[in-house]
Amino acid sequence: MSQGGMIVKAPEVRLRRTFDVHNRTLSNGLKILLVENPANPSVSLTVSVLTGSRYEPEEKAGLAIMVSRLLDEGTKNRNSLEIAEAIESVGGAIETDGSFERMVVSASVLKKDVDLALELAADILINPVFPPEYIEKEKARTLSEIASAKDRPQVVAGWAFNELVYGDHPLRRPSHGYPETVAKITREDLFGFHEQYFLPNNSLLSIVGDFKISEVIPRIERFFGGWQAKPLTFPAYPQPERQTGRRTKYITMTAQQLNIYLGHLGITRTNPDYYALQVLDTILGGGAGFTARIPQRLRDEMGLAYTTFASITMTAGLDPGRFIAFIGTSPENMVLATDGLLGEIRRIIDEPVTAEEFQDAKDYLTGSFVFAFESSAQIARFLVHAEVYQLGFDYVEKYPEYVEAVTIENVTRVAKKYLDVENYTLVVVGPVDEKGKLLNDGFD
Amino acid sequence: MSSLVSSSTFATEDIRRTVLDNGLVLLTKEMHTSPIVTSMIWYRVGSRNEEAGQTGKSHFLEHMLFKGTDRFKKGEIDLMTLKNGGANNAFTSHDFTAYYFNFASDRWQAALDIEADRMVNCVFDHDEFEAEKKVVIEELKTSLDSPWGLLFQELDAAAYKIHPYRNPIVGWLSDVERATAAEQQAYYRKYYQPNNATLVLVGDFETDRVVEEVRRRFGAIPTGQVQKQMPLIEPEQLGEKRITVRWRSKVPRLGIAYHAPEIAHADSYALQVLGVILAEGKASRLYQRMVEKEQSVTFVTAEYGESKDPTMFHVRSEARGEHSAAEVEEAIFNEFEAIAAHGVTKSELDRAGHQIEAHFILSRERTLDQAILLGQIETLYGLSYIDGYLQHVAAVTSDDIARVCAEYLREDNRTVATLISDGTGSAEDEDEPGGDDSEGA
Repeated sequence: MSQGGMIVKAPEVRLRRTFDVHNRTLSNGLKILLVENPANPSVSLTVSVLTGSRYEPEEKAGLAIMVSRLLDEGTKNRNSLEIAEAIESVGGAIETDGSFERMVVSASVLKKDVDLALELAADILINPVFPPEYIEKEKARTLSEIASAKDRPQVVAGWAFNELVYGDHPLRRPSHGYPETVAKITREDLFGFHEQYFLPNNSLLSIVGDFKISEVIPRIERFFGGWQAKPLTFPAYPQPERQTGRRTKYITMTAQQLNIYLGHLGITRTNPDYYALQVLDTILGGGAGFTARIPQRLRDEMGLAYTTFASITMTAGLDPGRFIAFIGTSPENMVLATDGLLGEIRRIIDEPVTAEEFQDAKDYLTGSFVFAFESSAQIARFLVHAEVYQLGFDYVEKYPEYVEAVTIENVTRVAKKYLDVENYTLVVVGPVDEKGKLLNDGFD
Repeated sequence: MSSLVSSSTFATEDIRRTVLDNGLVLLTKEMHTSPIVTSMIWYRVGSRNEEAGQTGKSHFLEHMLFKGTDRFKKGEIDLMTLKNGGANNAFTSHDFTAYYFNFASDRWQAALDIEADRMVNCVFDHDEFEAEKKVVIEELKTSLDSPWGLLFQELDAAAYKIHPYRNPIVGWLSDVERATAAEQQAYYRKYYQPNNATLVLVGDFETDRVVEEVRRRFGAIPTGQVQKQMPLIEPEQLGEKRITVRWRSKVPRLGIAYHAPEIAHADSYALQVLGVILAEGKASRLYQRMVEKEQSVTFVTAEYGESKDPTMFHVRSEARGEHSAAEVEEAIFNEFEAIAAHGVTKSELDRAGHQIEAHFILSRERTLDQAILLGQIETLYGLSYIDGYLQHVAAVTSDDIARVCAEYLREDNRTVATLISDGTGSAEDEDEPGGDDSEGA
């Protein structure tokens, strides 16, 4: 950076967006997090139920996602079309989503429609009826979507990778399940999962937007106050362990490119080394543009790929995520690409990062942090993360301190502790046979 | 149609439009919610400007603009972005190429330094060009491994007879392979001129200061000779066209393209409303019929594509279970005929109006969203489009919808593309996602 000379010195006081977080707990145990944001005449709200695919039985894999997708297909008060018409007729949106650790109902509306959003969200969370005809529809649609997703090499590679990395842990499964497990899900299973976990004392409501807190709290109480608390139990499941030895899988697919996943088990979001690993991620496989080592070397210098990256923090959650290095490349580059990924991982384990890389990564993380809080929906999501991962609502102020506290020695230590170039999983999908030999009957 | 929004000018209020002596248009809008500034530059060059045998040039050029100038060497643009805690990216379309930076509001000037420099001084080193060519080819291949990427490439190539919108934005493989640094440089000289660009800044700044900083950096760049290009006029289509794409999937996919007018045409509003009525949300017509009642598809979309030249109204859908693409298209055509004959209901019209209006408000919170809206509209039409937009949408009647449906979404005006199995395919009916050794060709 000698020629440019345009680097603006990092300011002493970092710019950030500030907002006041208010929190309340209703008598039924529902936690409410609120932020007033009058910048736009709209409101974003999310209700997160703290359950997900991690708690579903293996033989009913796909159950949690199916519950989330059927929530808005009919309640004791409204049928599917009435729910859709109510929200869409005011130009709003209500969505239901499920993952391994959370089931989320989210809504975005103009500020005049906040009551409607709260009423509908409460209704679909508390009173779903899982109409039999919709269960059959949803099963058939899920099977079709699984078939469709299997046309995408990167998706197939991701599924195979998880299966090898997670052993017996529920994260080994695709969250929508398998065709034969989806087929086995019954209406009783759906009600059972809903009754067991969809409880106010297992949920968080975050709401951000153009409203007055004093006015919106009584409305939340009106719609959610009657939700009955119950004692909660969660099933135990095996904790995943880091693999020993190498696991490799080649999956044949006619395609232009090979999709390659390389990595192993990662970390939880609450791991104290998370921030040191964010610095590591930025240097190794993330950051701005193609500045990180893997994209710089494999894309910019070697021209092997359009998409290549690596990260261990990206998938960190309540359960350990994955360390993933990915590249999509022409078949003839398989060895170069795989060696290239391994070489960069090995280098960051063996050698300390340079002082300049280290400082740049920290400046990037602290400087770009502000982009995560632009919209009400982003802030609403942050509130949930802050609560679930115990980050504290002063996280916005604290984050730069956490990053600044990381040292070069920390980065080397966490690289050695959490990355592994001996015991890893490699999945390759594309024109290869099951032994990894290139086929020559690809597209071209 | 009732209106949710009292003032129709809210989107352009506080926008200042400044034109420098060299022709560069500057749009600025202050937003002080977050300490962020988005800087975007929009060039009026895209795949519509590319001649036969030269496809992909606009997109390749976008890659080369990160490859350095004399002042900012290769990699330094990204490095500056990193050091300043920013974000950058770029995209190429039919009608434009756009670049953006997001920076904290105490250092947004870095973006102006880069854009002013690379408007003029981009280096086309032979070796760098050839290295980047490999990356572009990998990008092209990624798109061909996506069923929709492949199907829509083939669909548009068949639907347009002569207009360059028929070519993929990334280009045809053989054109990209034989592109040279010298040709690419000539293309750059031709289109990257201040009088062919719009600079957009949105965020936490004082407008007067921005205008001054922009003048200081861009003011001395001489006005270029931007040749007025005569757009190729797509001849009328004289009957339905059909194509089949054989691929490794067993899931039938369907793409339909209808010729439709350009964004400046008065019918563009009715076509946008029609797209929303057909397929936006669960209450929409095609969703209710095909996903809900007939259960013949996993999803269906319908969208009018906003372009400078006459464009396409695209429909896409994916058949499910035992349902065939033929059955799916029959249902779609049937709905179009019904709308052409009877129009739509008042509640459909009101719902679509409210969806469009609310989307306009709900999707403008981030500075980058605002910058994209302003830059795109200025490039395609002119800012005045935004001021009149919601009024025009609100003025659309059921008769208008019926008329545009009859005029554009008709048999002789369409191209139908289906993606069907080539007999190989990865979808073994019984196997598990995640694959095992039985998976494969």
